[in-house]
Amino acid sequence: MLWVDKYRPKTLDQVIVHQDIAQNLKKLVTEQDCPHLLFYGPPGSGKKTLIMALLRQVFGPGAEKVKVENKTWKIDAGSRNIDLELTTLSSANHVELSPSDAGFQDRYVVREVIKEMAKNRPIDTKGKRGFKVLVLNEVDKLSREAQHSLRRTMEKYSASCRLILCCNSSSKVTEAIRSRCLNIRINSPTEEQIVKVLEFIAKKEGLQLPSGFATRLAEKSNRSLRRAILSFETCRVQQYPFKDNQAIPAMDWEEFVFEIASDIMQEQSPKRLFQVRGKLYELLLNCVPPVVVLKRLLYELLKRLDAEIKHEVCHWAAYYEHKMRRGNKAIFHLEAFVAKFMSIYKGFLVATFG
Amino acid sequence: MPQDIRKWFLKPHSKDKDNATIPANTALSNLETTNSEPGCGGHESMGRRKTSKYFATDKQKPEDGGEKEELPAKRKAEKDDGKSVRSSPLKKFHKADDDDDDFVPPSVKKNSVGATPSKKLKSGSGRAVAQKSVDIDDDEEEDVKKTESPLKSSGRGRGGRGASGAPAVGRGRGGGRGGFMNFGERKDPPHKGEKEVPEGAPDCLAGLTFVISGTLDSLEREEAEDLIKRHGGRVTESVPKKTNYLLCDEDIGGAKSTKAKELGTPFLTEDGLFDMIRASKPMKALAQAESKKSVEKVAASLPKKSPQNIEAKSTSAPKAPSERMKTVASPAKRKGQNIQQSLLTWTEKYRPKTPNEIVGNQQLVKQLHAWLAHWNEKFLDTGTKRNGKKQNDASAEKAALLSGSPGMGKTTAAKLVCQMLGFQAIEVNASDSRGKADAKISKGIGGSNANSIKELVSNEALSANMDRSKHPKTVLIMDEVDGMSAGDRGGIADLIASIKISKIPIICICNDRYSQKLKSLVNYCSDLRFRKPRKQEIAKRLMQIANAEGLEVNEIALEELADRVNGDIRMAINQLQYMSLSMSVIKYDDIRQRLLSSAKDEDISPFTAVDKLFGFNGGKLRMDERIDLSMSDPDLVPLLIQENYINYRPSSAGRDEVKRLSLIARAAESISDGDIFNVQIRRNQQWQLSQSSSLASCIIPAALMHGQRETLEQGERNFNRFGGWLGKNSTMGKNLRLLEDLHFHHLASRKSKLGRDTLRLDYFSLLLKQLTEPLRVLPKDAAVKKVVEFMNAYSISQEDFDSIVELSKFQGHANPLEGIPPAVKSALTRAYNAQSKSRMVQAADLVPLPGMKKAPKKRIAAMLEPPDDGIGEENGDNLAENEEENSSDTEGPDATNGEKLQSELQSLNSSGIEVQLELKGAGNSSAKRKPAGRGKGGSASAEKKSGRGSGTAAKRKR
Repeated sequence: MLWVDKYRPKTLDQVIVHQDIAQNLKKLVTEQDCPHLLFYGPPGSGKKTLIMALLRQVFGPGAEKVKVENKTWKIDAGSRNIDLELTTLSSANHVELSPSDAGFQDRYVVREVIKEMAKNRPIDTKGKRGFKVLVLNEVDKLSREAQHSLRRTMEKYSASCRLILCCNSSSKVTEAIRSRCLNIRINSPTEEQIVKVLEFIAKKEGLQLPSGFATRLAEKSNRSLRRAILSFETCRVQQYPFKDNQAIPAMDWEEFVFEIASDIMQEQSPKRLFQVRGKLYELLLNCVPPVVVLKRLLYELLKRLDAEIKHEVCHWAAYYEHKMRRGNKAIFHLEAFVAKFMSIYKGFLVATFG
Repeated sequence: MPQDIRKWFLKPHSKDKDNATIPANTALSNLETTNSEPGCGGHESMGRRKTSKYFATDKQKPEDGGEKEELPAKRKAEKDDGKSVRSSPLKKFHKADDDDDDFVPPSVKKNSVGATPSKKLKSGSGRAVAQKSVDIDDDEEEDVKKTESPLKSSGRGRGGRGASGAPAVGRGRGGGRGGFMNFGERKDPPHKGEKEVPEGAPDCLAGLTFVISGTLDSLEREEAEDLIKRHGGRVTESVPKKTNYLLCDEDIGGAKSTKAKELGTPFLTEDGLFDMIRASKPMKALAQAESKKSVEKVAASLPKKSPQNIEAKSTSAPKAPSERMKTVASPAKRKGQNIQQSLLTWTEKYRPKTPNEIVGNQQLVKQLHAWLAHWNEKFLDTGTKRNGKKQNDASAEKAALLSGSPGMGKTTAAKLVCQMLGFQAIEVNASDSRGKADAKISKGIGGSNANSIKELVSNEALSANMDRSKHPKTVLIMDEVDGMSAGDRGGIADLIASIKISKIPIICICNDRYSQKLKSLVNYCSDLRFRKPRKQEIAKRLMQIANAEGLEVNEIALEELADRVNGDIRMAINQLQYMSLSMSVIKYDDIRQRLLSSAKDEDISPFTAVDKLFGFNGGKLRMDERIDLSMSDPDLVPLLIQENYINYRPSSAGRDEVKRLSLIARAAESISDGDIFNVQIRRNQQWQLSQSSSLASCIIPAALMHGQRETLEQGERNFNRFGGWLGKNSTMGKNLRLLEDLHFHHLASRKSKLGRDTLRLDYFSLLLKQLTEPLRVLPKDAAVKKVVEFMNAYSISQEDFDSIVELSKFQGHANPLEGIPPAVKSALTRAYNAQSKSRMVQAADLVPLPGMKKAPKKRIAAMLEPPDDGIGEENGDNLAENEEENSSDTEGPDATNGEKLQSELQSLNSSGIEVQLELKGAGNSSAKRKPAGRGKGGSASAEKKSGRGSGTAAKRKR
């Protein structure tokens, strides 16, 4: 079993990083009725872990007795019938799903799922809470329509159903939903905290972890605890005992984005743009989300740019990121960004060096 | 090469000079013509070239008048002198190197055609140059300038556009012959649009044949063609003997110019052409005055060959041609007849009366004739003989199948042939019911068919059978057999049966021989395929009709019409009749205009559309044309545009790379806008946005980028690539499914609950390491054991393993499986499969159950106990593991909650399908779980993966 999973805290008491939040949550569910919750924070900060621990707190060990299934919903959308299939994780008391997987039909999922949950109020409460919990992942990816339909049902069925929403950025969740939830911001763990966790794991695994190496792992992880633990283990597979200056392998796709960035910086021409298009396609084919590609690409490019044009490049990256979310064919927007960058950069080079 | 070009270039011009000087020298009757003009001098001619035509004509009128006066006299003189003299300038124009009249006699015959241009040249370009003959120095200078200018300009054009070198290959398609890669690179004319296109008398070029070669100075090839046709000239592709001029502004040494040199065809520059045309124009003013005279003349000259008419017309009166046509018969009378007969459509009225009148396909008509003529002997005379013959002669089938596109005269041909051979033709077409019962000829009246035609057929057939000697012979014509549709059930099969037993010949007619419906029929028919008649043939027939109707059309116009209708004579005649209602004189332009709209209806392939949008003329298309082009396939065209826009070097950017990149950036931005439009259209059915969408995704990028196409990769063909997005998108979909499967298994292993993206982004590297690194480093057995354990822990199947490897491959990076000996790989596969019997199925998806037709839709993983009460199931704690190879079949889509599933499980159990609800006891000895009686389930689990891809195929469609 991977260490990330092996040493994941199972209860709110075991939590190392966000102890204060964990304690607050514990108080919240033990002392009073649980409101709708919205967890948001960068990836690898522990949102899911907290949610699972919270569910366990509320429903007891049964909450982890989940089954995975591909549910099909037959939805009558006026003129036509839609078949939707989604992967859900469910226990007796909660259902977890990522409605954004349904693409632009997510609103139907949201509506149907919540309705269904409202229909089946838990019969056998055994002294437990008389409500079910619906965990929705990636709420920020939900379409606007879905968020609107969510808003209404949240109120209507609040007696029987609690929502736990989970997303990276609360800015993409509509105001209406945010105001109906208790917003819980989960910060990225600090590097010290990460080092602490890494040392904890090393101790449990019986490994010698040089402190310099641990610090470097924490630095490289971009304050994502998951990344830190994963690359920690990768290093373990690669080489043990650890050395202080041991190379920390980058993710495969990050390496590739790095290459693309160097390509772009080297030459700005239609030919190069064409090659870059091929490489971008490759990233997308390997299921790397386009938004992530764009972000990473910007990150790599910014590292090498003159301060003068950084601002402009950032502006265009944001512009195309927005368009990418509104559009469908991600490659068009990625390519447009690269073309725009090439144009800006070439113009800059010519203006500066003639 | 450059020398060669020069040589050939100089020739026409030096001849011009000759033209100018020689008339003077040879003291032709019209010497005064040349003399009368020097007063106006060179600037006049320059002015004519540069300033507006109105200016030019104004100035010219008086002088033309002078010239005019002389012309008739000249003509008379010439007539007396004989044609030889007249043709001399032309001849000289032809033969550059020979400067004397000696050449004339042999060409007297040709002269009749040649005379016309000579005349025009004399008055046109000849005149222009002749004016300069006063001052020879000037003249020469001028000539040098003239000859140089095309070369220079071409050079300039090239430089200005910044095209990459290769001047030798240059601008023409002819030049492109040198290298395949240059195909389609014909450049813009260097002075495109800079010259003013003259307008001349409508028929001033009549009877002349032109061949266009290379790039012209200012006209697009199509424009030039149009110009020539409008003025009555003919444009051909190759260089036949009768070609009068090779129109080119530069010699690129292509096949055309070579052949033209061989044949001695004169070269003509664009300026020369313009002069020819202009020359005819001023006459118009005079025409009124002289019309009477000319009409008489024309009438007189009618019996002569047409070129002479044209000559007369072009020199004396542009109005003449109209007159000329009418003279065949007095128009007024015709009109009267028209009114009387106008009840009939022309297609009926002029339907061929004899087989010879059928336009084109005479060979086929003969064949049909022969077939029908010999039908009786072949198939009816004696049974034995027939059989023998049939085997010998495979082509002679009992039925004939005429095929070809509509309007070519198939039905007419069939009817006429029957008529000629004295057969009585019975036509059954789509308007008759041709169902199964109907077509039974042999059944006779008893065949319970209410169709009277059919009765007739069967009666005739019977009677023909009995005494065919005295009874008229019968032919059954089955028209439009490919139109036998739902209403005519079993029609074709029945027709075949009828053919087999038929006692009369059957002619089937269809449009599409390759239609699926006719597949069986063609085997029983001798195959006669009608081809499209050539446009000349059609034009000839149309001319006959036009003459008979008293309609005035010239041949070029009719050829254009024939060309436009695409071989459909019926349509051509209909168009002609329609046009005759509104006008009695039909000119080239009328036909062009009328048929322009119908020409648009042809299918444009997305590639053609993209070519046009990106082509040099892309910037000149009208907006509605562009929309039409991009709408020709609103899905595919944007993809093609997106795929190829980088390849174009925008004409507007020139050599400026920065500008080019910024144009690309703008185009890309527009394309990305188009994507958003497209989403709005598809997602919200906002179809009113479709024009904006095509504007953003096609038209704006094309408008920014149109220019010359370049290749970006070595060895790439310089054609537009097919849009890569479709293929990539489907691969992406497939990979997403694979990832989703992996994700699903991962979730089912209940080790973690991460999202799919996280799995890909963060976990993949480590998973891959864990799966491959041991294989590389550890000894074989230990490695295999370790990897299999890991796979089991995360429910990673062999397929998931493959997809992890697949999704981690990047171009230019090492294959993740590199360095793993094949022996180890196969050992891994064996070890994994060996355990498949004993493996826990945690994600029991799509296990095929006996007795279930469909793979269950729902995949249900293990219900899992919280693992924190033990170290895990490795110890074999008393975890109640429900292994469900559950199937929630079709009627259970609503059953989504656990309770219902449980009950389903029970019902499945009770219904005899073996579903193991196994309680894992502590008794299980090893860490390996060994469920009892899991043979079937286990093996099924090994197989199940294969079925998954297809099962979930539809799942992730977005």
